Amino acid sequence: CFSCQHPARDATSAISSSWQLRPVPGLQVPLRLPSDRRPPVRRFACPASIAAASAAASPAVPPGPPLAPAGIARVYKPRLSPEAMKEFWRLSGIGPDHSRAKAADQQAEVPPEIKRLYQEALPPIVSQDYRDPIVESLHRAEMMRRRRVINIPEFHVGSILAVSVMDKHAPNKVNRFVGLCILRRHTGLFTTFTLRNMVDQVCVQIEYELYSPSIVSIQLLKLERRLDDNLLYLMDAPHSHCTIPFDMVPEPYSRNDPVPVNRERVRLNPPPWMCKWHLHGYQGIDLEHLYSYLSDKDVAKAIEFSKAYKRYDLLDQYLNRVPVPDADYAFKDIFIQHQELLQHQQQQQ
Amino acid sequence: MATAPHTWLRLVPSCRSYSKATRLHKIDYPWKDEPKPHWVRQFEARRVDADLTPENRDWLRQWRLQRVRDAVASSSEAAAAASPLKEPPAARPLWTPRVSQRCGLVGIKLGILPMWYRNGQKVHTTVVQIPDQRVLRWVPPEDLGNYASLREMRPYRLNQSFLPRWLTQQRWGLQLVGAVPADPANFTAQWCGIFKAAGLPPMRKISRFLVSPDASLQPGACLGLHHFRVGDCVDVVARTVNRGFQGVMERHLMEGGPAAHGSTKFHRKMGSAAGGGGPIYRGKRMPGVMGNRFRAARSLPVLRVNTKHRLLFIKGFTPGPPHSYCQIMDSWMLDVRRSLDANPPPMPTYFAEDAPEGGYPEDVYHPDLLPYDQPLELPD
Repeated sequence: CFSCQHPARDATSAISSSWQLRPVPGLQVPLRLPSDRRPPVRRFACPASIAAASAAASPAVPPGPPLAPAGIARVYKPRLSPEAMKEFWRLSGIGPDHSRAKAADQQAEVPPEIKRLYQEALPPIVSQDYRDPIVESLHRAEMMRRRRVINIPEFHVGSILAVSVMDKHAPNKVNRFVGLCILRRHTGLFTTFTLRNMVDQVCVQIEYELYSPSIVSIQLLKLERRLDDNLLYLMDAPHSHCTIPFDMVPEPYSRNDPVPVNRERVRLNPPPWMCKWHLHGYQGIDLEHLYSYLSDKDVAKAIEFSKAYKRYDLLDQYLNRVPVPDADYAFKDIFIQHQELLQHQQQQQ
Repeated sequence: MATAPHTWLRLVPSCRSYSKATRLHKIDYPWKDEPKPHWVRQFEARRVDADLTPENRDWLRQWRLQRVRDAVASSSEAAAAASPLKEPPAARPLWTPRVSQRCGLVGIKLGILPMWYRNGQKVHTTVVQIPDQRVLRWVPPEDLGNYASLREMRPYRLNQSFLPRWLTQQRWGLQLVGAVPADPANFTAQWCGIFKAAGLPPMRKISRFLVSPDASLQPGACLGLHHFRVGDCVDVVARTVNRGFQGVMERHLMEGGPAAHGSTKFHRKMGSAAGGGGPIYRGKRMPGVMGNRFRAARSLPVLRVNTKHRLLFIKGFTPGPPHSYCQIMDSWMLDVRRSLDANPPPMPTYFAEDAPEGGYPEDVYHPDLLPYDQPLELPD
């Protein structure tokens, strides 16, 4: 028997089970058509298999208890509802919905000016092992305490600032420097920014720690934003791009307006350069002019780099972004302390 | 001993000459890098009780955690201060110069916070959190031989050639301290039994400190944040960051080979391991796992104490990654010990009666440190 391996009852079953038909004289052999090449599987019932089939059809014994306890599927194979999946994709910061589907209540809680003013309140982008919520909350609290002493304006890379620091060797004990902000890095109390200017035909770059108590004042002369996160390529650009007069008059700005973007494209000096500027995706460089200095191989490399493949690199996005819940929590914490700071300033006046 | 030495002991081949090579012998044994007490299993695979419904399982867990909280609260310093029925504590020992050595604290390293001095100089401070901890046991100096004999498997144990001073001088005993109480279901019954004798809930971490008998503490005593004052210099002992398997250039700062000029497959190698015909001595610097060893950062002052989150701000950098345990103790450096004679710390530890009137503020700063809400004023 095919199903239960019992020996066949009669000889006809043996012949019919094989598909090689032997010609028997006097027997009508059916024509073998292409569709007949594989005959249908014929399972010959034997008494044992008949008994098993009848038992399965009409079970006399009720089924036993389930092998796994109830609820194990809920625990070990959780199923997310579509709403939960959507929320997951929104919080992950990647995917099609993260930029659009921001909850209205969160938008109402933290106004956008907080995110512009306190860019360094975001937690650092490092491995989770090196992040601690207590230390981050201490950084935020100390940042706000320092802001009660000194006014730190909102500025971006591309803005022009005037910074006064304490200097015991200076005639007025204060050293003032005016420059273009080309770099802003690190987070929390470690935040630093670099100003660049020409002093007596010499390029000078000074890096200041934003929360250092030796800074007497930070004055914003021009609020502006550029197309890049840093303007390090100005080191290989004509000096006219970073020549700012020390007696520059501050330009008025409004906090409610969006930050003006300076879309100028800088023409670099001929190579040799300090760095391979064509391989970092800078938008503020005149690319046609830049490529005219490069060989075909370098241009191909630069074009390859500028391709928008990075937005498909999920791991790159995961590793180089702050998780949205952590950013929201940090800004909410800062917003509460910002309101306390405003009250403190009103009381002082 | 449960395991016989001849089954696991591996020694350097016998060499009678008294050269440096023979003194660099190391012994390898199965429990070499395990934290003590290695003879007690701390964790075991959690039993899955299929007869328990999830609701009952959660309720039982909350009941266990509440018992742990009650045990912690009943042995805290606040309870000791508030209870009217408790006997007054025995006379507190006085600080004896050149004799007293206090117990230390177990801490958890959290991260780094920069601060500034009043002269404008920047200083990096390590933020260390002091979790809930209680004294577990006191081993007096006379019993050190029995306690440490068969379980301190060091080279000196086998041939008794050289014993450390803390074992021979018998000036200090061992104070066992338990930190971070947790759910008893996480641990084996054997591990929980260690704490039962002291009437304490089981804890995740057991540390020990060398303490002089006059500063010894009895089981159940509470160790708190104010055991160290602002300005005290401490030693922080912890396991360094594990860098994994590293080559000799990273691990032992060897030179390696030239990058170019015809160098064939010799850029980051060790080179020769021994002299012509001679053996490779045990202790030869070779590639291997780098880090994950106990190291001490000595004589670091405590610059700030935060009472709200139970934090110590220690100047400088301490070994270990964030969220790792560390031992904090009065510094063993001689100049610090002499300075403590003039300004003795709370002996044997901080008690509620040592608190200043009105309690401690949320943040206690070192006088040289500039709080962030104060402007810097440089002297002319």
